[in-house]
Amino acid sequence: MLNQILALAWKDLKIFFKDPGAVALIFLQPFMFIVVMSYALSGLFEPGKGQIQLLAVNQDRGTQAAAIIRQLDEMDAFQVETTWEGQPLTREMAENLIVKGKRNMALVFPPDFSEVLEQAPGATLRRTKVLVIVDPATSSQFVEPVLGTLQGLIERSIYTAMAPKGLDYLFEKLAPQTPVEQREAFKTQAQEAISGGLLGGKEPVVTLERTVPPGMRVEKYPNSFQQNVPGYTIYGIFWIVSLLAGSVLQEKREGTFRRLLVAPMSRGVMLAGKLLPYYIINLIQLAIMLGASSLLFRMSLGHSLAGLVAVSLAAAAAATGLGVLVAALARTEAQVGGLTVLLLLTMSALGGCFVPRFIMPNWLRTIGLITPHAWALEAYQDLLVRGYGLWEVLPKVGALTAFATAFFSIGVWRFRFE
Amino acid sequence: MPNPVIEVEKLVKKYGERVAVNEVSFSVQEGEIFGLLGPNGAGKTTTISILATLLPPDGGKVIIGGYDLAREANKIKPLIGFVPQELALYPTLSAWDNLAFFGRIYGLRGNVLKERIATALDMVGLRERAGDAVRTFSGGMKRRLNIAASLLHRPRILFLDEPTVGVDPQSRNFIFEHIERLKAEGMTIIYTTHYMEEAERLCDRVAIMDEGRILALDTPKGLIGLLGGGVIYVGIATEAIEMLLPAVRSLPHVRSASYQGGRLKVETSTARPALLELIELCNARDVPILSLEVLEPNLESVFLHLTGKRLRD
Repeated sequence: MLNQILALAWKDLKIFFKDPGAVALIFLQPFMFIVVMSYALSGLFEPGKGQIQLLAVNQDRGTQAAAIIRQLDEMDAFQVETTWEGQPLTREMAENLIVKGKRNMALVFPPDFSEVLEQAPGATLRRTKVLVIVDPATSSQFVEPVLGTLQGLIERSIYTAMAPKGLDYLFEKLAPQTPVEQREAFKTQAQEAISGGLLGGKEPVVTLERTVPPGMRVEKYPNSFQQNVPGYTIYGIFWIVSLLAGSVLQEKREGTFRRLLVAPMSRGVMLAGKLLPYYIINLIQLAIMLGASSLLFRMSLGHSLAGLVAVSLAAAAAATGLGVLVAALARTEAQVGGLTVLLLLTMSALGGCFVPRFIMPNWLRTIGLITPHAWALEAYQDLLVRGYGLWEVLPKVGALTAFATAFFSIGVWRFRFE
Repeated sequence: MPNPVIEVEKLVKKYGERVAVNEVSFSVQEGEIFGLLGPNGAGKTTTISILATLLPPDGGKVIIGGYDLAREANKIKPLIGFVPQELALYPTLSAWDNLAFFGRIYGLRGNVLKERIATALDMVGLRERAGDAVRTFSGGMKRRLNIAASLLHRPRILFLDEPTVGVDPQSRNFIFEHIERLKAEGMTIIYTTHYMEEAERLCDRVAIMDEGRILALDTPKGLIGLLGGGVIYVGIATEAIEMLLPAVRSLPHVRSASYQGGRLKVETSTARPALLELIELCNARDVPILSLEVLEPNLESVFLHLTGKRLRD
């Protein structure tokens, strides 16, 4: 019995190792995934690595904003940039960098920031706002810590700048003859000044105002579905690669391909006919995923149906194009399986389907741009989260179409019809 | 004699260093069943694949229906039908759906398509099973449907690549009758097989192939005639051969005799009397017969005669 088990096992091992392509892929696939995901998530696990990059626009005429910016930058979690390519950052520059996807958040300290913090007590309180410009596609997991830290630093500044003056002022007022009720009122004010730190009573003197760059139409901040649906939808549609490549290989194995090759039609027509149903399946898949998310989970589909259609057509073309490429490169069904998993998991991870690209190191973010996933994800986020329209997503649609054309052309070039 | 519908001249196909088809030349007449007979790996499938426009040749010239294969393959395609060795069907689709698909590929539509499908299903005896998924069919039924799928567009030339592999005798007979009917309708058929009975029964002419070359080409009768009345192999002791050979050659029903592979190879004009004469001679000379093999005159024997190998080696 043991001999039989060993014979069966030996036979399968021999068959497996006789397909070097499949062998390489089965080991390469988890390795690639480990590498990409480890680098992508390095900032979450290694202190000092993968800092959150913040742009800081300092319009303050005094020194308080500069002090807060310095303190933020000294923290391990943040890397604060006040210049870009040697130029001091302006609000417009910061907004542009966010729109272009180079950074996710910018802090804009107003010109009167120090004056508000250092104002003399007793007079009518002046108030100001620090603008926090955020790409709406940035998850609140990353925005909230920034806001919390910033709030703390501002309160500390207020405490150091305003509280002593406030307390002096209060003690001036606290004559021994003061009636008890008046004394109690002053004590309350002093406690507010120290613990709340904002000396404005119920309304702080410095507030953080969250906003988005101009051009983005965000009615409310994206919920979990808006954040996750595009990523996992793109991850899902690219699995058409496995179906398409598997089907081509099956037709080759069963001889139907040979029969079709004899028929009076060009090889391009034959491939196009083979590709079209999978393209349609992809579009149906996209419609169901987005439609169901909208109906069931009240996910906003943005403002541009034309944009959604254009991105979906281009993304599905890239996915089916990749299917043709895999069908051309793989020689066995094991290789189709291995190559599909290797490509899709690696590309999805690099493209930001599993981990937001903004937490990845810059070099990994740049590499991510060689995947159609990154472009498709950005395009969907532009429409669903950032509130953009067709015009704004056209460059990304162009990039996806270029991917589709490249995949299809190389696939047709390398395709072995026999 | 009608004009050749296929002319092949010094056809060459190489896979790396291996020459799969080596300067093969033949022509096929309109309405003829032309057989390519040979063992596996002889080059039959490669030859038929080139003629069916599936593979580009590495040398030589092929004219089909007056068109040059190298330049006018698109004009040749509508003229031909191809039945591949594999069961080239979609198993989850019904017989009707399979035929409808292949019909549409050839531009058939509407009522014409329906009529052609119905006729094809009748022809291969599968009308009753038209709506059933092909995966539920027996091997023989699938083979028949495999042929039907190549006939919908009524090709002038039909290539059949080992169409009876794995088929039960009943289905095989059905397929033979079907091919004979197609020939009667005037279709030209190129048929590859490694079954000599099939070639003998169906083919007007047969090219015997081995290792990429055509070794002999004639009618089955003409090829069998190469063996005369048959060949007898006689195993005798080596030392007796010199003494016996001249006497064997002078026997009345012996055409020639030689020493081959440790045995006497005797080509006869009629096998049975030649065998009696040989036995008598050995007895008379007191030469013990160690083995005896009589090859009846058929294509299998011709192949053995030409190559020293059996067709199914």
